[in-house]
Amino acid sequence: MNGPGIAWYLAVAGFLFGTGALGVLLRRNPLIVLLSLEIMLNGANLALISFARLHGGHDGQIFALAVMAVAASEVVVGLGLIVALNRKRIPLDVDRLSSLRG
Amino acid sequence: MVTGAWICLLSPLAAAGLITLAGTRITRRGAGYLATASCFVAFGGAIASFAGLLGRDGEEREVVSTAWTWLSAGSYRSGFEILVDPLSVLMMLIVSGVGGLIVAYSLGYMDRDDEERRYFAYMALFVFSMLLLVQGGNLLLLLAGWGMVGLSSYLLIGYWHERPSAIAAAKKAFVMNAIGDATMALAFFLLIKEGNSLEFGILGGEYSSTTANLIALGLLGGAVAKSAQLPLQTWLPDAMEGPTPVSALIHAATMVTAGVYLIVRTHPIFEQAPAIADLAAGLGAGTLLLAGLIALVQVDIKRVIAYSTMSQIGYMFLGVGLGAYANGMFHLITHAFFKALLFMAAGIVIHALADEQDIRRMGGLRQLMPRTYLAFFIGSLALVGIFPFAGFFSKDSILAAAMDAGAYGYILWTAGLIGTFLTGLYTFRLLYLVFGGEPSPFVREHFHAPRRDLVGISMAVPVAILAVLSVIGGWIQWAPLWHPIETWLETVAEPLVTPASWMDWTTSAIALLLGGAGWLVAWLLYSAHTYQVPRFAFAQRVLEHKFYFDELYDAVFYRPTVRIAKAFYRWIENPLIAGGTTELGDETRDLGGLVARLQTGLLRTYALAIASSVAVLAIVFVAVK
Repeated sequence: MNGPGIAWYLAVAGFLFGTGALGVLLRRNPLIVLLSLEIMLNGANLALISFARLHGGHDGQIFALAVMAVAASEVVVGLGLIVALNRKRIPLDVDRLSSLRG
Repeated sequence: MVTGAWICLLSPLAAAGLITLAGTRITRRGAGYLATASCFVAFGGAIASFAGLLGRDGEEREVVSTAWTWLSAGSYRSGFEILVDPLSVLMMLIVSGVGGLIVAYSLGYMDRDDEERRYFAYMALFVFSMLLLVQGGNLLLLLAGWGMVGLSSYLLIGYWHERPSAIAAAKKAFVMNAIGDATMALAFFLLIKEGNSLEFGILGGEYSSTTANLIALGLLGGAVAKSAQLPLQTWLPDAMEGPTPVSALIHAATMVTAGVYLIVRTHPIFEQAPAIADLAAGLGAGTLLLAGLIALVQVDIKRVIAYSTMSQIGYMFLGVGLGAYANGMFHLITHAFFKALLFMAAGIVIHALADEQDIRRMGGLRQLMPRTYLAFFIGSLALVGIFPFAGFFSKDSILAAAMDAGAYGYILWTAGLIGTFLTGLYTFRLLYLVFGGEPSPFVREHFHAPRRDLVGISMAVPVAILAVLSVIGGWIQWAPLWHPIETWLETVAEPLVTPASWMDWTTSAIALLLGGAGWLVAWLLYSAHTYQVPRFAFAQRVLEHKFYFDELYDAVFYRPTVRIAKAFYRWIENPLIAGGTTELGDETRDLGGLVARLQTGLLRTYALAIASSVAVLAIVFVAVK
């Protein structure tokens, strides 16, 4: 197999996942939180595809496609919520969105 | 003939249903007319059945008509069927005829009442229930009718539901009757166990003496409760809280005599259990004396008549208990005439005096309402059994029958004769106190003459008809000379005693003398005032407390039950059930409060929790591997 070994791929995937996770945990703007989530998902996708290439199977790639579809749907909902929040002049701060009551 | 019987049964039911469904779409008086008409249609049906039976020979006078199988369980079947035989036709005629007159009287009596429609719906329901009771072709239907008359009696006693005393009286009547219903049901269970059937025919089967005694005792319990005999008699006087026509129809003419009908209908079982039959007669004799004594001190016009009803039903029980079925039934018929008459005349008096019922405040009404006085006087003569009024013929023949029943019969005979004296005394005491002398100040102030319009007529006409019946009704049968009722009922219930005609004549002479003596004493004390009314403080107190039956039942049944219930409430309900569940609820809520603290609503906390959990899981996974 040419190019860098699987360890490099996994390292990049882990780095992406870690960056995303830190973003989710530390940032308070829901837009950034969503963005960080996407980064986490992409890290996971990278790991999946790397293993798929390593083993020559297709399962991982199909799974990655499914994750992308879910991520797209999630962004639609999430962005929709954020737009709605903004329209109602609700502050975009996850720490202040702690009550379920509308 | 069968059609007539079905029409008789169903037309009051139809009226009750129509009045209920029509609601305010018919006028109040329209409801009254509907109920009255349905009763008279029923009377027409009864006459048709009667005519149909007359056209047949003695042995064929029994027709059962089944509408459908009402109930079946395993091999047991009961049909919805009616029985048309001499006994049921006799009762149909009384119930629908006298019932029709009394419902017509109610048109006037209940005029302008707030809830007239409800009243007439109940009345029609009662007439239907009573007809179901007497026409039911098996014991199960009889029991259904039995329960339904109890229900309609309850509804009508409590008709003026804003009066607490009326509600209490209604409940008392219902509970006392329920005791009888229960013993009857037990007797029926025994019958089903023995013969797997509740047809009337099953009563004639062979039973061991214990079984027969138990069945008869259960039936007697029902009869005693419904007919207000010892020891379940205390509900009847209180039932006078209902409107007066209700007292006349249910608590004098028809429902309370259902016990007599029951014993006649089920006489084969009583003949197998002679001890229980004797007990019935003895209870009757006891009740007639007891009620006669209590009636002497009552001061409410309706209660005096109620006690006399109990006393007269005592005579009927005495008769049918000894096997003089026709005589008992005959007294039932004449009693329906004159007791309904007395109640309705009393109703006119109560109306004229602005609903006053206390006889101590009455007096001198004879001058003010001579026609009502005449009606009441006729009713009183019939009740005391003065020749030639109705009671003379029927009561004396019961007592004569007792003479033919051996030594026990003689004891009952003596009791009955003493009762005759008491009857004369309390009846004429009532008459003189209400109608005799000069009008009292209360009467002067409150009297207003009966109305002459439709309302007055609807009350006067039934009273007049019943007055005529009370005069001539007794002539149907004069035991020593002619006895069509005995012949009529022969196929249903063969009498066990056949008094010789000297017994009839002797009894009549003595009864007439004693009744007259009672009248004379009443006249001396309450009209002529020749003697002071004697006062015996002790006797007075005992009688005014009705021999302490209410107090006794209160002490024996009511108060222990309340005490037990209170103990249960205090020691079980409160600490265990109420306290236990409260405790459980509190604990759950506390626990929920603890868990709720985890739910901060902060998104980043949740994310951290998830991330750290995953990290821990991953480490554990790797470590274990």
